[in-house]
Amino acid sequence: MRRTRRVPVRTWTGIAAAVAAVSLVAACGSGNAGDSGEDSDSGDASGETLVVWFPGKSEAEMALVNDTIVPAFEEETGAQVEVTFVDWPDLSPKLNAAFAAGTAPDVIGHGVAATADLAANERVLDLSSYIDEMDPELRDDISVALEGGEVGGTPYMVPLIMTARLLVYSGADFTEAGLDPEAPPATWEEVHEAAEQLTVRDDDQITRSGLLLGSQPIANQQSFATLLWSNGGDFLNEDGTEAVMNSPEGVEALQYFADLYQGEDPVDGMLGVEWSALPVGEQPVVAGTASMQLVSAGAIVDYQAAAPDRDLRLMPPPAFEGSEPGTFGGPGNGLMINADSEVPDLAWEFVASMVEPETNLAYAQELGQLPIHASAIDSDYITSNPALVTAVEALPYAHGNPNVPGWVQMRDAMGQHLERALHGEADPAEALDQSASEVDEIIAAGS
Amino acid sequence: MLFVIPAALYVVVFQFIPVAYGLVLSFSDYSPLDRGGPEFIGWDNYASIFTDASFARAMGITGRYVLQVLPFTVAIALGLALLSNRVFRGVGLFRTGLYVPHVVSLTAVSMVWLWIYSDSGLVNQVLDFLGLAPQRWLTTQDAALNAVSAMRIWKALGSNMVLLLAGLQTVPKDLYEAARMDGANAWQQFRAVTLPGLRPMLTYVVAMDIIFLAQGFPEIFVLTQGGPYGSTTTVNYLIYTEAFQYNQMGSASAMAFVLFAFIAAFTIVAIRVGQGRRS
Repeated sequence: MRRTRRVPVRTWTGIAAAVAAVSLVAACGSGNAGDSGEDSDSGDASGETLVVWFPGKSEAEMALVNDTIVPAFEEETGAQVEVTFVDWPDLSPKLNAAFAAGTAPDVIGHGVAATADLAANERVLDLSSYIDEMDPELRDDISVALEGGEVGGTPYMVPLIMTARLLVYSGADFTEAGLDPEAPPATWEEVHEAAEQLTVRDDDQITRSGLLLGSQPIANQQSFATLLWSNGGDFLNEDGTEAVMNSPEGVEALQYFADLYQGEDPVDGMLGVEWSALPVGEQPVVAGTASMQLVSAGAIVDYQAAAPDRDLRLMPPPAFEGSEPGTFGGPGNGLMINADSEVPDLAWEFVASMVEPETNLAYAQELGQLPIHASAIDSDYITSNPALVTAVEALPYAHGNPNVPGWVQMRDAMGQHLERALHGEADPAEALDQSASEVDEIIAAGS
Repeated sequence: MLFVIPAALYVVVFQFIPVAYGLVLSFSDYSPLDRGGPEFIGWDNYASIFTDASFARAMGITGRYVLQVLPFTVAIALGLALLSNRVFRGVGLFRTGLYVPHVVSLTAVSMVWLWIYSDSGLVNQVLDFLGLAPQRWLTTQDAALNAVSAMRIWKALGSNMVLLLAGLQTVPKDLYEAARMDGANAWQQFRAVTLPGLRPMLTYVVAMDIIFLAQGFPEIFVLTQGGPYGSTTTVNYLIYTEAFQYNQMGSASAMAFVLFAFIAAFTIVAIRVGQGRRS
């Protein structure tokens, strides 16, 4: 649905306030920026309370934050930190309700894609003044990550992790199929040829997929992004005012994606299957039901530990012939500060503590992601594993989704047409034309 | 009067006011992120709904979902109620066993069925045991809504059976004796005595099932998230995405009231049909 004409009716404010007070306050639990008391500039925040929401419920992340990071911060500042971990699917609904009820947390953890809408509605602080005061050396060290948290050149989020979607492949399967695991494919065309050799079938059933790309909703857009960017295409024009994913590069990328499932020789037998949420041991490339799989690169450490006999490695990001490599990723989830927080300086202290090199490295390690510090490439964690070196070296090729208001709506609108193309129910060109048309409508509506 | 006040307050504060506020929102443009609050836009949200292809599709899917669950769940529940209306050893256990699914929350049950339908889940294990190929129950357009419907039929059986059993036990025994004396066989007794006697309860069961099924959400949210490519996006799931993913509370509220109008209309028709046959 689109926004239409607006006629303010002030008398509704009372009703809205009453209902919001009754229904939303009851629904939203703790997390009240308004009961935190005075802020402190000095770091002595005794008696103050900082409310923080982190996205996701990773056991390792919760343990690190609750048992190490927060106690250290509380000891250093004297403040009390109330941390809540919110499941990703519940995060936006809960946060939006909390904003409406005035109970949003002081520090908001979210994905980069959420930043633009929150900034457009003036719900999060412009962090320029805080970032300007950072140690210049540290600021330079995380400058790539900081750019990912900007909307229109203004920083609203400090990302905590870096990500890059890379192909993990089984050296054992490569050897078995007569391929050289030391010389993995360098282009998507070569990846497809290798996938054909690696695919194992029982009659017309694929029992081992040669290549797996995420094809379920949301993941399909991210997989398509990887193909699109590595073919020189993009979703929106430079100023974000027009959809351009239906370019010839986009059509070629989607045709490649659809051909993994359709045609005479499909190589991916898991169309629409939600494998990304499976435990590590059940991931197809770990369990041996896939030979190449597009994954978040930092996860390679857990994959290798779970299946040492599979000889799992990371492939540098491929490109379509004649194009530069590109992949979905870049700065991942990060922290923002509630514009209504009564303790913004304390909130910033917490954010700053999370990006201290040692803390951030430990945090990224626990999440199975990559740290935001460029200097982390020299850390023992990275240098001890050649696959992680490959992952860090791939970061310059990683792109994030466009950070524009209404992106979630655009992504979902596009996702349905991508699904139709992957299922062979729409021609890639037609699917992308319809995607572009709907995305243009969303841009025009200014949502 | 004093004793009624707490319950009345509860109904007013937690039911009447939210519904009334929802109605107000349906005539407004409102995002919870917007500091300005709701802004009146008249009938625009309702006008948009009737030109919105995704809403029309969701209405169709919701209708199909109701129509492919309702007849099966009522018919099977009636058969089970007839069975459990007899006296045999273990009838209590039989009735309890059938009612158990109703006691468990729909969300929890859906989680169990998510595994049952998974690639290595119970259904595919049974197929494998029988030498048949495994199927993708929740990720193909043809199978997803049917798979959700099968789960919902199972889930609704218990409550429907208990209600119909209660209805069966209100049918006077002497009517059966009279029918038998007139030479009626079992089928004739069912048609001439059981069904007319059960009609008020059947009407109630059908009406309540229409109301609950048309509001199907938890099972969709857990099992399919509205996919694949929208083939299980019911109106309630569309309302959820509109309100909580896209922050369009106004249009989501309008959708909710249009859905309410359709449910009310179909329920009234079902009740009228039931009453008409009885009279």
